[in-house]
Amino acid sequence: MSIPQIDDKEITRELWQSRLPVRFILSDEDTTKVNRSESPEPLYLMLSRHIYFPCIVEKISRYYSNYFKGNLNDPTNNINLNNLWFEYESIPLKWHYPIGVLYDLYTSSLSTSSSHLPWQIIVHLSKFPESELIRFPDIECIESHYMTTLKEADALKHKGQIIGDMQKRDHKQLWNSLLQDKYEGFWNINMKLMAYTENLKYFRYIPFRIYILDKPFIQKLFSPYDVEHSKWLTLFDLLQYSLDHEVKCEKSSNEKKITNNNVDDYRVIIHGVEPPLNTPVQWLSECFSHPDNFLHICLVENHTRR
Amino acid sequence: MSTNEGNENDAFSIDASNSATNNDEVNTGSARSGPSNDSEGGSKVVFLLKAAGGAPILKKKKWALPRSKTIGHIVEFLKKYMKLDAQQQQQLFLYVNQAFAPALDTTIGSVNDCFSSEGTLVLHYALTQAWG
Repeated sequence: MSIPQIDDKEITRELWQSRLPVRFILSDEDTTKVNRSESPEPLYLMLSRHIYFPCIVEKISRYYSNYFKGNLNDPTNNINLNNLWFEYESIPLKWHYPIGVLYDLYTSSLSTSSSHLPWQIIVHLSKFPESELIRFPDIECIESHYMTTLKEADALKHKGQIIGDMQKRDHKQLWNSLLQDKYEGFWNINMKLMAYTENLKYFRYIPFRIYILDKPFIQKLFSPYDVEHSKWLTLFDLLQYSLDHEVKCEKSSNEKKITNNNVDDYRVIIHGVEPPLNTPVQWLSECFSHPDNFLHICLVENHTRR
Repeated sequence: MSTNEGNENDAFSIDASNSATNNDEVNTGSARSGPSNDSEGGSKVVFLLKAAGGAPILKKKKWALPRSKTIGHIVEFLKKYMKLDAQQQQQLFLYVNQAFAPALDTTIGSVNDCFSSEGTLVLHYALTQAWG
């Protein structure tokens, strides 16, 4: 009996449809300033893993403004929807990372409970942490951020040739499809960004970022194909190369804390799953990237596993 | 030795160095080799700041920063150094490859590792969204 093969399109569709159940709870401090007799119920939302928090800020603001009618913009109260920020286990959440990446990195590294769903996030309406976060921007800013990330990915894959040749309306279609959850609309354009250029059968370099708790993300130049040895390079190769390079840089900068560059000491998480480390990185880039065309790879040290 | 401009304070000091850092040789032969401005051998990243989109031109163009400093750090420095008014400060953008603006928390080390070319990292700064 033959084993049915899953084709790549099914995989990209599965990833597109992946969701995170989130429970938003108002902070204790802000709850005391509520203008109604009852405190806000937790807000439950089912969110796509690859959107950004600012995409849903309006929905959240509307929900909480019901509880603060009358004193929402009262300056003595410090309740102001511009001061909205989200926290998980004392960590202010960055708005410009895809939601799924934040979930994978922080719940795997930090949570004291064994079950992380629904993801419980604390909503703050005051005491914005100025030194750690940038305020949630408007929707145009997030679109700019998404587009610039896409351009960076294309710069690595194709020297920017493909995205540079695209019409503005194609760029718009990518973003709008992402916002409106339209898989076909998105991939009709995105597949152009998966093409090969310059007579290569692969991308010039792979767009990827490695996230380890308490460190800025790691990004390096990495080609998916070893021409000298005629072989496809794997996720393991990419991780080993990146960590080794990072350690060399840390040592020559006399950093106090040197990153652990033993790949086997980490769980490797992309889109919430742990792909086999011998997966060719070219395939991952084509089928397992986020809509911004980057592979967002979370490394969680094994000893923190709960 | 580096010279510091008079109106810098410690938190935003950047060495305006005219000498290149000690860069490692490019490791050739492997498809994986990075650009020749490999900062493995030195602790600082050397970069050129070029004006675009009507921004004021800096006298000093060559700068050096530790790898771990962020794009945001450079942006904050430029806001003060170029004495931008409040409105201009909102509009300051830093571009790589004259194509994209990295997120403010990106380290200059990773920008250098990926986008320096022929031994140099060039960043363009603009007071308009010159490249979207």
